[in-house]
Amino acid sequence: MFRYLTHRIGTALLTVWITTIAVAMLIHIVPGDPVQIMYAQSQGTTPEQLEEIRTRLGLNEPIWVQYGMFVSRIVQGDFGQTIRGNQPVLDLLIGRLPNTLLLASVSLVIAALVGVVFGFFAAYKRGTAVDTGLMITALIGVSMPHFWLGLILLFVFAVNLAWLPVAGEDWRSLVLPAITLGVANAGIIARLTRSSMIDILNQDFVRTARAKGLHKGTILYRHVLMAGLIPVVTMLGLQFTYMLGGAIVVENVFAWNGIGRLAIQAIFQRDYPLIQGFILIFACLVVTVSLIMDLLYAVLDPRVRLS
Amino acid sequence: MRKHTSRMLQAFLGGVAMIGLTASASASEIVWARYGDSDTLDPHASTTTLSMQSWRQIYDTLLAFDESGMPRPNMAKSVEVSEDGMTVVFVLNEGLTCHDGTPFDSADVKYTFDRALSEDKPSITKSAWGPISGVSTPDATTIEVTFEKPFGAFVPFMADPFSSMICDSNEAFGDEFGSTKAVGTGPWKLSEWTKGDRIVLEANETYTNYGHPTENKGRPFADKLIIRTVPEAQTRLAGLKTGELDIIEPPLEDVPSIKDDPSMTLHIAEATGQDVFFEFTISRPPFNDERVRRAVAHAVDVDMALDIGFEGLVQREKCPIAAGVFGNDQDFCAQHLAEYDPEKAKALLAEAGYGPDNPIDVTMMTWTGGGRERILQIFQNQLSQVGIKTEIEIMDIGTLNARVKQENEKTEGKATFDMMGWSWYDPDILYQLWHSPGAYSGYNSPELDAMLEDMRSTVDTEARLEIVKKVNAYLLEKAIHVPLYTPGWMWLYVTSADVEGFTIGAFDQPLLMDVKVAE
Repeated sequence: MFRYLTHRIGTALLTVWITTIAVAMLIHIVPGDPVQIMYAQSQGTTPEQLEEIRTRLGLNEPIWVQYGMFVSRIVQGDFGQTIRGNQPVLDLLIGRLPNTLLLASVSLVIAALVGVVFGFFAAYKRGTAVDTGLMITALIGVSMPHFWLGLILLFVFAVNLAWLPVAGEDWRSLVLPAITLGVANAGIIARLTRSSMIDILNQDFVRTARAKGLHKGTILYRHVLMAGLIPVVTMLGLQFTYMLGGAIVVENVFAWNGIGRLAIQAIFQRDYPLIQGFILIFACLVVTVSLIMDLLYAVLDPRVRLS
Repeated sequence: MRKHTSRMLQAFLGGVAMIGLTASASASEIVWARYGDSDTLDPHASTTTLSMQSWRQIYDTLLAFDESGMPRPNMAKSVEVSEDGMTVVFVLNEGLTCHDGTPFDSADVKYTFDRALSEDKPSITKSAWGPISGVSTPDATTIEVTFEKPFGAFVPFMADPFSSMICDSNEAFGDEFGSTKAVGTGPWKLSEWTKGDRIVLEANETYTNYGHPTENKGRPFADKLIIRTVPEAQTRLAGLKTGELDIIEPPLEDVPSIKDDPSMTLHIAEATGQDVFFEFTISRPPFNDERVRRAVAHAVDVDMALDIGFEGLVQREKCPIAAGVFGNDQDFCAQHLAEYDPEKAKALLAEAGYGPDNPIDVTMMTWTGGGRERILQIFQNQLSQVGIKTEIEIMDIGTLNARVKQENEKTEGKATFDMMGWSWYDPDILYQLWHSPGAYSGYNSPELDAMLEDMRSTVDTEARLEIVKKVNAYLLEKAIHVPLYTPGWMWLYVTSADVEGFTIGAFDQPLLMDVKVAE
């Protein structure tokens, strides 16, 4: 268990470290003079101001010095100021992060509930029309672009039925974006749950349980569902990180004030400090979630701990 | 059990529906949704239209633009430029008050100037303020600005949101200023700013409008103004339909149906100063040859392209400085512009040595959005008819800006030209674009430099107008800056039928003092 833990944490730290290198070099990968690109829309910027910004960002130093400067700033919690508006990057990101986490969490709950129920029933009724119907629905869910589904829901529930607001920041405004993001991911979970359940249903221990004369419900719930959910739980972790990505699109459609929308804006405006901060925070988040999932997996499945 | 669930579901949906209905905008509240948020509320720290539009609500300016874009007295009841152009004196109206209740006087004006021109943290538009050598305040209502050399663009600058007057009480806020605090003298007071989501403003009870072109001379008619960020255009339109939003920027593709919809009104900004134009990479053939540049201008039927592409939403622009800016004169510019004439285009190309045996193959670039791709496709077709083969490249505006400069700095490679857009409140824009080295290191010549310097340092209106015309004629005849249309971006607004009194001031600055929102 100790080796498993240290290995996982080590991998996580390595990932974050590689990300810092990539992020620090980001500014040099884009062709052209980065400062000129950043300030291309600022009509009043003088060459002296541009030079000052180059100095401030350390762009005149050798690359390894630049990386050192970057890392030493980051570890002190200084993510710099945004190019547009001169706001502290970390404050902006931290201010928006809870909104995105909330959206992704609620969506995950929706995805898990819908996905597991669909998958479980499809497995239970495998080979029947119910199974086919559920799996086609799941496939539709997976294939529908977030953007399109979001707009459809918006026009049906906000414009035509007027049940929910179009956009905003309270819990009512969370409903549509969470369903959009949740439904699309529920499809994947449903398919995974189904195959995992079918796998379990064919196992010897299920047959044994049935032979012992256990109640059908008990078998399905205690033996099949519990065992079949192990791969699903790991998948949920992965799904959560996907959802953070999907949130970028959904946040734009529903004007949900999350970190993804901030990122899109930063990318369009070439606000490098903000883009760098976003990637770092996002990477840390994904790494943390994966780590938690790995640990959870170990708790759920003793075979992982032992190997 | 099943019944119970369905009743619960009904109750839930019923509750949701009720809350949904009560959430619509109240009578005295204006909700204005834009695609993005302001970068900052500090008028010295951004140059985006999105930021400037919010400053316009919170702050006021010494002068104000009238409908046609000319500066008029506003907070300052008079402005006097000395004959040599070295001194400008403003006299303030009596009784101006900051949002925090402190009186606004010449000390606040001086504070604003000092802050913008400071050594350690100047305004990012510092150069646009001009070569100012000193600001003095002989008394509480008089401000005297002196210059190292005359600067013709100073007076209109005092009407632009870049020169928003900042109350000196903001000094106490330190870094909070522009972020959570912003004390101005404008029609709306800052109540709360949730970055990326909404700026909540309240009517300034003591506001007096001295110079803005709205009917309301007192406090705004509405009690509250909420400037929201809704990035997706379809979502904004949906919000307008449900009554959640009152004023929006529409999706361009929906404009025809919006025009026919009696429940909404389309507004088109005028005198925006936005100029969409062709410019060419002159560091290598073929566009280093004036004849080829003129051939491109002769080859495109701009009127037809605009008819198809915009259906009357934009105007043909014939001057390098767009409608709304000092010196814009369509008739004068038409005399110097290379108008649509494909035969002439072919003849010029043949003269320059291009034709079927030596065809021209170029890249034509522009930036994303605003219906520009469609326009370029029409131009592409028209250019092919005179034998110019073009490949279209569409990119983000930041990339385009950098790319154009790079192309101008290269002496080898495929020929390029681009459809660019700039907006400014004064012909000084031409100095920034075409005085060597120029914003894009593009065309420059000693004679053009001399004319532009002359334009900058001339303060007499008549004399300045003559020079502006000369510069326009030069740019048009040499096909350096080929104007196409105006406005070009963020120029359309849609209000719901409940809204009346919506005014768009010059340079795309919505003025909301007159707006009333019906129940």
